[in-house]
Amino acid sequence: MTTSAATKNIRDGNARHLAVDLAVIGSGLAGFAASIFAVGRRIVTAQVGNTGAVAYTTGYLDLLGREDGSRTDVTDPWQALEKLAADQPDHPLANVPREDIREAFTQFTAFLGEGGLAYSRPGERNLTALTPAGTVKQTLCVPATMAAGCHAYAEKSPCVIVDFKGLKGFSGRQVAANLQARWPGLATARIDFPDIMTGEIYPEVMARALEVPATREKLAVRLKAAAGEAKIIGLPAVLGMHRPDLVKAELERLTGLVIFEIPTMPPSVPGIRLREMFEQVLPQKGVTLIPQQKITRLNFDADGATLSLADSFGPIELRARAVILATGRFLSGGLEAERTGIRETLLNLPVVQPDNRNHWYRDRYTDPRGHAIHRAGLAVDRAFRPLGSDGQPYDERLFAAGVILAHQDWIRGRSGAGIAIASAYKAVAEAEKFLSSRS
Amino acid sequence: MELLPEGASFEACLTCGLCSSGCPAAGIENMDPRKFIRMAMLGMDAELSTTPWVWCCTQCRRCQHVCPMNIDISQLVFLARGNWPQDQKPSGIVRSCQMIRSTDSTSAMGLPPSDFVFVVEDVLQEVRENQPAFAHLQAPMDKKGAHFFVNQNSREPMSEPDEMVPLWKILDLVGADWTYSSKGWAAENFCMFAGDEAAWYEVVKKRVDAVSDLGCQVWLNTECGHSYYTMWHGINRFGLSADFTLESLITWYARWIREGKLPVNSKWNTKNIKFTVQDPCMIVRKAFGEAIAEDMRFVVKTLVGEDNFIDMQPNRSANYCCGGGGGFLQAGMTDHRRTYGKRKFDQIMATGAAYVLTPCHNCHSQMEDIGHFYGGSYGVVHFWTLICLSLGILGENERTYLGPDLLALID
Repeated sequence: MTTSAATKNIRDGNARHLAVDLAVIGSGLAGFAASIFAVGRRIVTAQVGNTGAVAYTTGYLDLLGREDGSRTDVTDPWQALEKLAADQPDHPLANVPREDIREAFTQFTAFLGEGGLAYSRPGERNLTALTPAGTVKQTLCVPATMAAGCHAYAEKSPCVIVDFKGLKGFSGRQVAANLQARWPGLATARIDFPDIMTGEIYPEVMARALEVPATREKLAVRLKAAAGEAKIIGLPAVLGMHRPDLVKAELERLTGLVIFEIPTMPPSVPGIRLREMFEQVLPQKGVTLIPQQKITRLNFDADGATLSLADSFGPIELRARAVILATGRFLSGGLEAERTGIRETLLNLPVVQPDNRNHWYRDRYTDPRGHAIHRAGLAVDRAFRPLGSDGQPYDERLFAAGVILAHQDWIRGRSGAGIAIASAYKAVAEAEKFLSSRS
Repeated sequence: MELLPEGASFEACLTCGLCSSGCPAAGIENMDPRKFIRMAMLGMDAELSTTPWVWCCTQCRRCQHVCPMNIDISQLVFLARGNWPQDQKPSGIVRSCQMIRSTDSTSAMGLPPSDFVFVVEDVLQEVRENQPAFAHLQAPMDKKGAHFFVNQNSREPMSEPDEMVPLWKILDLVGADWTYSSKGWAAENFCMFAGDEAAWYEVVKKRVDAVSDLGCQVWLNTECGHSYYTMWHGINRFGLSADFTLESLITWYARWIREGKLPVNSKWNTKNIKFTVQDPCMIVRKAFGEAIAEDMRFVVKTLVGEDNFIDMQPNRSANYCCGGGGGFLQAGMTDHRRTYGKRKFDQIMATGAAYVLTPCHNCHSQMEDIGHFYGGSYGVVHFWTLICLSLGILGENERTYLGPDLLALID
């Protein structure tokens, strides 16, 4: 959006126009992943979406941590994917070849690393990672700032979990209480964060303060005292916002300790890190990013699609030759639950869903088999094109990615990032195939 | 005392706390945006209309920016401010609004039109006499039909008149057809921050009339943040008809550089002095968005060299308010304002830059103050100063904000 065009709109109210090859709708993990893969394929791309739910992530990138209905962790996600494909052929992860999923995670984590957030690469097996509740979970890739936690847990090394006065949503004692039986060498300490007055303090505030060398030096003194004899300490995820790897390295240098982060309850730093990095780096790579806006109308015609939105200065019209719908579920507004059923909000696409509200939930919320409503969403063809009411692709130019897809329960499967990244990879590949066939 | 505006979807709040986590005012007066909205939902209007926190919130709208539900909490704060009895509102803000309404200048410092005209003429004459290269310099007043109606923050004519000169030189150099107006020339508008809608309207109307009377095509907002927002948002909010566009000087700096009319470069920066930039909320997040943020970076990088520019984190629309906005600088709540400003101080210190550039007077004052208070060693400079420095035309009286390192490069 040019400024001169923006000001002109005060006068005439005319829409500003943009034209791209690919429009990505949504700014969650799937939307950002789609833009990243599109950049990799040199597709001229615009991405539009409201703030999205990226800031709620732990920072862990799960592929598949649980089999549906099972209480057993998945340690080999690649093998589990084979079983998933056999048991649930409609599951989105069953429709992306495993080598593509691996490539998608490799490209995605490489992009994060180049953007300043180093991640572990996808391995053959899941990693066992710590949660703020003092439980563990299976995940595929972790931020470099958290990797030492996986290692310390595996080795059961003597370790002190340090938390901060005034910080809600993370308690060292809670972590230790739940892990102590399996990890006897675990101790805890509570310290004051330097230069922060009394009252509630947020991880975001601490993370930004730790970008300042003087704050790191003050904290290092307190961490050394808290560590006692231990050589390893775990902290809530507060090690910087923009340069976490540098902050971690500097604190380790200053203390002589091995330091790792554990995710905190939202609002948490790892998600804000991701969002701020995406919003800064993608425009530098040529993506036209229009954040904080929602598409209000989407129309297809013979030559492409028209997406309508408006910002403070008036209407914007975006023309695209292909569109990826990554608008998420209920929280992000991709789906809406009404008394009569579940609706897709932008095109009113058919939603796979239970036949009536009485079948949305089982009696017990914690039932390991999950609930039917969580599997509601869009049905797609092999090319990840959403189906219309006639069972055929709604439009040859429309693709879908992320948790708006039907036949998956990402929370129970510990597969949210996996579905987002894998389906975005596939949708972009298919969109590119379509675009080249028409050029 | 109804606080929730009609049609507001505040029940969409998930209470996730991203707003409070990202708000430098969170915790001051034991309040934060999440608490504020929950209390509003519970109908605790009386409590919300008496908490002094509403004067610590700068209405920067960062809470809305990070809210997945896009909830505008600053709107509630505006209404809550309005609910305060006039005599209990911070007197500095109220007085500034009263001063704005006291003369046709619309100046928050109460500088009447005749004094403004006198100061401009006086300074102009001095420049013509003492700077031979600018013996021809103009500062047109009430020139009908000029393309640009240029406004001016009162701080310059009132307290540091020499700071107007670099702007005049730039306008001269690019051959701009511009004018000041003796009426409605002032930039600042604290009536919005006082929560006084009628007064806000009155000020905006007076300024719109002043531009229309002179028949100018562009109301050019100089290096001042909230003046743009109060005017632009006010015109839309009050349905005023304005047959001119509202533009920012930053956009024009960028344009004049691109067109070659402002031949600045970074060759002067032989010591590779580092600079960062402060995105004023009022013109970036709350108005133009990323476009003007990009223009600002283009101008700064051209001026200081690409490698000598270090962005603050976060930046652009995600940037933090400095803590000088929303009338906070005028509210007399110094301790709270500095607590708020600690976030900005950390951001600046994390860049390691020697100078912060910002096209906003409130940002400028606040960043200087927190720098001194928290022991920072950075300086704060206007764009016009650095542009004229780069062009080798910065007069001796126009170097107030330069530290020894920059002064050494001139001499």
